[in-house]
Amino acid sequence: MKHSLRVCWLYHDIMDLYGDKGNMMVLKKRCEDRDIDFVLDTCGIGEKKNLCDYNLIFLGGGDDKTQFSLIPDLLSRKENIKQAMDENTFILLICGGYQLFGQYYTASDNQKIDGLKFYDYYTDTGADRTRCVGNIIIEADLDGIKTQIVGFENHGGQTKNVSKPLGKVLSGYGNTFESGYEGFYDGKILGTYLHGPLLPKNPVVADFVITKALQKDDPEFKFEDLKPLENPFDEAARDVLFKRLNVEKAR
Amino acid sequence: MRTLAILATKLSAHILHLFHRGGSLPGTIGLKIDSDILKGLRFEGPIILVTGTNGKTSTANMITDLMSYSGYKVISNRKGDNLRPGIVTTIVTNSTILGKVKANALVLEVDELNIRHILPNIPVSALVVTNFFRDQLDRAMEMERLISTIESVLPNYDGELILNANDPNVVRLSLKAPKAHVTYYGIEENDYSSANTKEASEGKFCPKCNERLVYDYYQYSHIGKFHCPNCGYATPKAVVSLENIDLINQTFTNEGIKYKNPYEGMYSMYNAAAVMALAKYYHIDYSYVQKVFESAPQPKGRNEKFNINNQTCVLNLIKNPTGANEVMKVIEMDPSDKNICIVLNDNDQDGTDISWIYDTFFEKLMKESTKKIVCSGLRANDMALRLYYGGFNGNIVIETDLDAAVKSCMEKKIVTYCIATYTALLPTRNAILKGMK
Repeated sequence: MKHSLRVCWLYHDIMDLYGDKGNMMVLKKRCEDRDIDFVLDTCGIGEKKNLCDYNLIFLGGGDDKTQFSLIPDLLSRKENIKQAMDENTFILLICGGYQLFGQYYTASDNQKIDGLKFYDYYTDTGADRTRCVGNIIIEADLDGIKTQIVGFENHGGQTKNVSKPLGKVLSGYGNTFESGYEGFYDGKILGTYLHGPLLPKNPVVADFVITKALQKDDPEFKFEDLKPLENPFDEAARDVLFKRLNVEKAR
Repeated sequence: MRTLAILATKLSAHILHLFHRGGSLPGTIGLKIDSDILKGLRFEGPIILVTGTNGKTSTANMITDLMSYSGYKVISNRKGDNLRPGIVTTIVTNSTILGKVKANALVLEVDELNIRHILPNIPVSALVVTNFFRDQLDRAMEMERLISTIESVLPNYDGELILNANDPNVVRLSLKAPKAHVTYYGIEENDYSSANTKEASEGKFCPKCNERLVYDYYQYSHIGKFHCPNCGYATPKAVVSLENIDLINQTFTNEGIKYKNPYEGMYSMYNAAAVMALAKYYHIDYSYVQKVFESAPQPKGRNEKFNINNQTCVLNLIKNPTGANEVMKVIEMDPSDKNICIVLNDNDQDGTDISWIYDTFFEKLMKESTKKIVCSGLRANDMALRLYYGGFNGNIVIETDLDAAVKSCMEKKIVTYCIATYTALLPTRNAILKGMK
């Protein structure tokens, strides 16, 4: 069967702080190079969309003001998002998107907003407006696929009570200044503070996200079913950071 | 104490000068001894601050020239840096021991995050603001917080605000400055205005009521004619508004007279408008503005052209998506066959977060006429990866040796474009000069 990746990018026009569109470019190319149809749809505030129609939902990061402005719209979609998750739509969340799937988010001016409350984790603000900023490398286990993920983090939010972190921090901060763990992954959503953007330098994660999404239509689909792709740049770009952060690269 | 601080600043500047060093160290020493050193100085004549994300250097330089031509004795930080210690160095080394500033006009380019340290401490008569874009977000926090640091010192400011009427994030400063008077400048709808923007955009929400802003047209990025459908917040009427923009010949008209802008691109037109607005406020004759435009030096690495031995090379600085997109547009307008060298560093001054390259339309370079793109710098591979995922079908080359990278782009009958981030700019410039020998 011909597979298709149908992505809905939520609030694409306002939650695009750190080159998040790069993630979409990567998914598009890695699908099209394998003859997988790629359809990118977007959903802004007030737009009528049934999120169950997609096999991947993506939500990126924005500044505090933007994040506050979309809350009423996001909360109004709560049932629809829940239904999509129950129907195996995979969800990729970066930074602000990740925070908003938890209990609440506290902004740098101490204003507190409710999240979607799908998970127990919550986000406080960094003491004295401090922020976790810099290059980061984590070690993750994605349903048995062990991979080291590289990226850049820049967040004041301190996300706590994370039951299933995405990975262990090898260099950098992660969910909080001290937690030692980064992100959240439970098989249904992948939330992370890593941008850079996330996917170009982490082709394994990109392909894993594609796999999870395609499994909605084809539960038998496996990561290994994706034709291997190579480009001369991604490993070299990763090497620069491993070397600089003095982290040993796994074979 | 204050005299001691002034003396220490001047003395250290003098000693450092003997060793051919300068910079901001004298100001740092002065501030250590007396953190309120600026408050004790006595000024005469206008004090003009210029800030904003893009264009503050060229705008401040043109304003410095304007004030000089029209008869003021001007002190500026043209050669110094734009952070507090550098500014203190500039002012104090040009003062007497008793704290009298030896000039009757002061023009200072000020980093956005340093406005809060400068504005409340000296009697500023005009604050010129160019625009606000995401720039080195890792350093400058999110733009929202950056703007609020400026807003925090405006409630008692009673001088003039000279503001870009087409940037909603600049216009909003007027809301926090009840004692100030405002002069707006802008650009009328023209051949380059468009109904949509695809570029990374900041001005999305009304700063008064958070409603989504509606644009009649965009000039570039989020700069344009906007209004809020909910509360009526809108582009204000500009006192100086440029018309008949011609980006090929770099000309525009104002009050029926044609001017030639010394710099390329729509973003530079706004700098010209800011200079004219300032001239208008100080009742300086436009003939002096004309003279400023005619004599403006081309800054290094801002579309700087090199022509040696029938070889043409153009060097440009890129530091954030908006500035970079404008550079892309200038390159896109040149139909000649070209090789492009992109030098991407991620040192502190470049911004350590390079995700902005995905907010920049490098796709504009991906034309038939672009023969190859050579990537260099600390993050050369990231740049190459960006071009790869952007769908560039031509030749992408990694060359970590900068001299070799630039040299490999120089071919007969082909124009070389070099694009470099801040810390790569001078090394790239040197590589060009070496390569052209």
